[in-house]
Amino acid sequence: MKRRRATLTKKLIMTAAAVLILVLAGVYAFRHEESQAEKIAAPAAAAVDSSACIGSKEYMRANHMRVLNEWRHSSVRDGNRVHVAPDGRKIEKSLNTCLNCHSSNRMFCFNCHMYANVKPNCWNCHISPMEAP
Amino acid sequence: MNEDRRSFIKKAGIGILAGIGSAAGLFPALSLEKTVLPAWDEKPEPGKHRWGMLIDTRKCAGNCKECVAACHFTHNVPDFGNRKDEVKWIWKSSYEHVFPTASQQFQSPGVTERPYVALCNHCAEPPCTKACPTEATFRRWDGIVSMDYHRCIGCRFCMAACPYGSRSFNWRDPREGIKLASTEYPTRMQGVVEKCNFCSERLVKGLDPACVEACPEQALVFGDLNDPGSEIRKLLESTETMQRKPELGTKPSVFYII
Repeated sequence: MKRRRATLTKKLIMTAAAVLILVLAGVYAFRHEESQAEKIAAPAAAAVDSSACIGSKEYMRANHMRVLNEWRHSSVRDGNRVHVAPDGRKIEKSLNTCLNCHSSNRMFCFNCHMYANVKPNCWNCHISPMEAP
Repeated sequence: MNEDRRSFIKKAGIGILAGIGSAAGLFPALSLEKTVLPAWDEKPEPGKHRWGMLIDTRKCAGNCKECVAACHFTHNVPDFGNRKDEVKWIWKSSYEHVFPTASQQFQSPGVTERPYVALCNHCAEPPCTKACPTEATFRRWDGIVSMDYHRCIGCRFCMAACPYGSRSFNWRDPREGIKLASTEYPTRMQGVVEKCNFCSERLVKGLDPACVEACPEQALVFGDLNDPGSEIRKLLESTETMQRKPELGTKPSVFYII
């Protein structure tokens, strides 16, 4: 009887220890290390870039892929190749319109895409600013 | 392996550029294709134009391949040097391959032994666009049978549907097969079908197709089939012409003077 109780106590202690270790491991693994975490530097801004984009910087940052998709659809499918910017300027709907305007910065596209780990497949076919002669 | 190589080259490029530093002024402006505004602002009227080509095979010299070279350079068409991976937009072939169902019998040896230029016929009733499950290939407002490579899933139904063999599949990454690259036009990628686009990118700028411009004998005539006053219409009215496999009802836009 005594021996049985001793085994039970031992088992209980063992289980408690296991649970404690798991809890501690969990807390350690998921605790926020804000104070120690190394901040990733924001992507370097383009050195010289065009100031005459078709939209605001914020709009283009958030929506450039939608703009390009829309441009492709309307120019390839409907033959409507002219984009009219909000200020009335007329621009050809082409990826090269963007790249020619931002031609002083070969890291245009890449700076942010690398930072955000986004891998668009544009450059499988189109000539990227880095590959351009 | 290809992907690794590409990404390695990209990373190496970034490293070199980072090494040079932020000297943005050192880099010359990109020599990508200059964009130009077309003459029209709005959507073009569908069916107003129908681009077509007339090939005067009497003028076409036997061994000359200027049209093929010009087209394939302009559009970055790869050449892998073997038939299995061959990609072609325009090519030269024999009489019996270009006109296998021609009703004329006993043509003179001069006619049957000449090579003939073949390309996409930009049919008025294209079978390829009907076979495409993703609408990646479609007949445009101006009669050009066009490809949207972004939508192509590489199923090759269009290749089976085309009775002229005008479509090629990219079995390999085409960039490996381009010796002299043109920066004026994109390449394609592995796994898509490609074909002649009647130089729609040049038509926008008001230029003739590259093959028409390159032909030293002016054997190729390009024009609007819907315009009764165009040179091509006048030639079609004044000369006897042939089409490839007209009995199929595809109504090709490419005509031949034999």
